[in-house]
Amino acid sequence: MSSDPIAANKPDYSTYPTLDRAQAAAAAQELLALDGRGAPVDMATHHAIERFYLREARLLDEERYRDWYDMLADDLFYWMPLRENRFRRDKRAPFDPSAMALFDERKADIAVRIGRLESTMVWTEDPPTRHVYLVSNVEAFETGIDGQYEVQSAFIQYRNRSEHDDATLAGRRRDILRSTTDGFLLARRLILLPQSILLTKNLSVFF
Amino acid sequence: MRAADLVDTDFGTIDRRIFWDSAIYERELERIFARSWLFVAHESQVETAGSFVTTYMGQDSVIVARADDGIKVFLNSCPHRGNRVCFADSGQGRSFVCNYHGWAFGLDGALKKMPKMGLYKNTPGFRFEDWGLKRARVATYKGLVFATFDETAPSLEDWLGDFRWYLDAVLDAEPGGTEFLAGGATRSVINCNWKFPADNFVGDIYHALWTHLGGAEPTLGRHGGVKVENEGSWQVSVNGHGWEFNDSFLGNAATMGDRDLLRYMRSRQEAITARLGDFRAKMWGSVASATIFPNFSFLPGYFTFRTFQPKGPLKTEIHAWTLVPRNMPEDIKDRFRRGSMRTFSPSGILEMDDGENWEHSTAANAGFVTRNQRLCYAMAPPGEVKEKELPGDVHAGQLSDANQRAFYRRWVTMMDTESWADMPLASPSVAVEAAK
Ligand code: FES
Ligand SMILES: [Fe+2]
Repeated sequence: MSSDPIAANKPDYSTYPTLDRAQAAAAAQELLALDGRGAPVDMATHHAIERFYLREARLLDEERYRDWYDMLADDLFYWMPLRENRFRRDKRAPFDPSAMALFDERKADIAVRIGRLESTMVWTEDPPTRHVYLVSNVEAFETGIDGQYEVQSAFIQYRNRSEHDDATLAGRRRDILRSTTDGFLLARRLILLPQSILLTKNLSVFF
Repeated sequence: MRAADLVDTDFGTIDRRIFWDSAIYERELERIFARSWLFVAHESQVETAGSFVTTYMGQDSVIVARADDGIKVFLNSCPHRGNRVCFADSGQGRSFVCNYHGWAFGLDGALKKMPKMGLYKNTPGFRFEDWGLKRARVATYKGLVFATFDETAPSLEDWLGDFRWYLDAVLDAEPGGTEFLAGGATRSVINCNWKFPADNFVGDIYHALWTHLGGAEPTLGRHGGVKVENEGSWQVSVNGHGWEFNDSFLGNAATMGDRDLLRYMRSRQEAITARLGDFRAKMWGSVASATIFPNFSFLPGYFTFRTFQPKGPLKTEIHAWTLVPRNMPEDIKDRFRRGSMRTFSPSGILEMDDGENWEHSTAANAGFVTRNQRLCYAMAPPGEVKEKELPGDVHAGQLSDANQRAFYRRWVTMMDTESWADMPLASPSVAVEAAK
C-alpha cells in the first residue's frame, strides 16, 4: 500500500458503472438501428433536448467534466468506430462493434479519462487547451419507449492550444437520451467522424 | 553531407538537422526506406485468396494481396500515367482496375487487360509483362509480413537476426499463432519527424517516468507510476532493432486497469514459461517497448503494433493495430481491444501524453540557432555491463540510451553506405524455432 494519501484515496474504478460484453453488444445494435424514422418529438421536448445539448457543449468547453459526467446514464455506451475506405461493393458491415475503435466506453471508462485530466500531471493540457463545441442539425424522434428519444445531430469541434496547435473535427452523433425527473441523461452515443485518418495527433476531448 | 558527421553514437550526440532537413529526409527515403525490410501487414489481414490491404513503404503506396500462391506486395501506382490504382484500405477481389483508363492488374500485380486491348496488341514492342505493378520481395516471420524493393538486401532472417529470439516473446508465447484484431489500422497524423517516435520506442522508457505521470495516475495511483529500475531490466539491440524491457511479466498491461485481464495473464504465466523459458516469458507483458528498424514498433502488454509512416521530414502517420494470440478466449481479446484503445490510440490516456513532445522536438528546429545545437543521447549509467549469455547486443538496465545509440548507428551505416555488400549485419547466434 502506498503511504501517499491521494493514492490511497484513488477511486476504485472497478466499482464504477459499466456494461458487460453482451450488454455492450446490445447497446451497439440499438445505436446501429437508429434511422430517424420515428415520429418527431413535440416542440417542447425538442426544445428541452436542444437545451440539454447546448449545456453539454458548454460544460465540455469549460472543462467542467464532473458536471458533464453527471449527464451520463449509468448504462452509458459511448462509441466512436474507425472509418475505413472500402469499395461500395464490399459486403462487410461498415460499423462492427467488435472491431477496433477510437472510443468504446462505459461510464467507468469515462471516469478513468476524467481521472487523468484531473491528475494535474497531464503536461499536454497545461497550459490548457481552448475548446469551442458547436452542436446543430438536431432532430429528435420518439422511440416507442416512453421517455426515451433518438436524437441525431451534427457538430463542429474546434481546439486550440499553445501557439499554432489547432484541430477542427466535424462529425455526426446519434444518441439515445432518457428523460428522468432530473432532466435528460445520455444513455447511448455513436460518434461518426468523417476522417479515415485522424488528421490530428489526438482525441484529448469528449464528444 | 555524411550522416556520420551528424551523429556521434559513441558518447551519444545528434545533430538536430537530421530531424528537419529535407535533403536528409530524401536520402532516408532512398537509403533507409527503399533498402530495409519494412512491415506491411499481418497474415491475418490477408487470410483468404483475393483479400488485400493497402499501406505504405516509405512514401510509396503499396498493395498487399493474397494471391493463390501466397502474399504479394506491389506498388499502388499505375505504370500507364501513374494514377493510384487501389483506393480502398482493405477488401476482397480478383483484380485491381485503375480508374484513369481502366488497366486491370491481377492479385500478383501483373497487367491482365485494358479497354480496347487490340490497340496494344498491335503496338510494336509492347509486352504485357513489362507493364505490371512493380513487385517487392516478401518474407514473413511468425505472422508478420515484411517487404523490400531492394533485390540486393539480405534475407529477412538475417535482417532480423537474433532479434527473432526476443520477438517470440510476443509472437509465439501461445500456441496457434497470432492475429491482428479486426477493424483495420487506427491512423492519425502527427507533425513530427518519424525518428522521434521510432527512437522513443526503441529504448526510451526514461520518458515514461515523467511524460506519463498523468496518464498512469488513474490506474496506477499518484506517483505510484510505472515502476522502472535498472535492476531486473535490460536493453537489447540487434542490427538497429531494439527492445527495452524488465522482468515484470505484466507491468505494461497493468496500466490498462483491467483486473480480469491481469488475472487471465497471470493464469497463463506457467504455460508461457514452459514454452519460452522464464526469461522470455517475463517479457510478455512487461514494462517494455521495441522498434524493428526503421519504423515498426510495438508495446508488449498492450500489444499495440504500429508503423511510423514518414510523410515528409516534419510529418508522420501512426498506423496501429492490436495483436493477440489467435487462441485467446474471445472475452480476453475484447479486453485487449478496449484496453489498448484506451491507453495507446489517439484517444489513449498514455498515447495522448506523447504527441506534443515529438511535435515540439521537431518544430523547434525551425530556429537556425536551435537547429545547430546537438541533442543528448548520452545516458549510460555506471554499472552498465554487457550481458554475454543473451543473444544480441545486451545492456543491463532499461534506463539507458544504449538502444537509441545503436538505432542511430544503423541509421548512419545505411545513410552513408552505397551497397548492401558493405553493410554488415550481426550473424545470428541462436536457433529460432518454428511456431507450434
Ligand atoms: S493511368 Fe492507369 S490506366 Fe491510365
Ligand atoms: Fe510514451
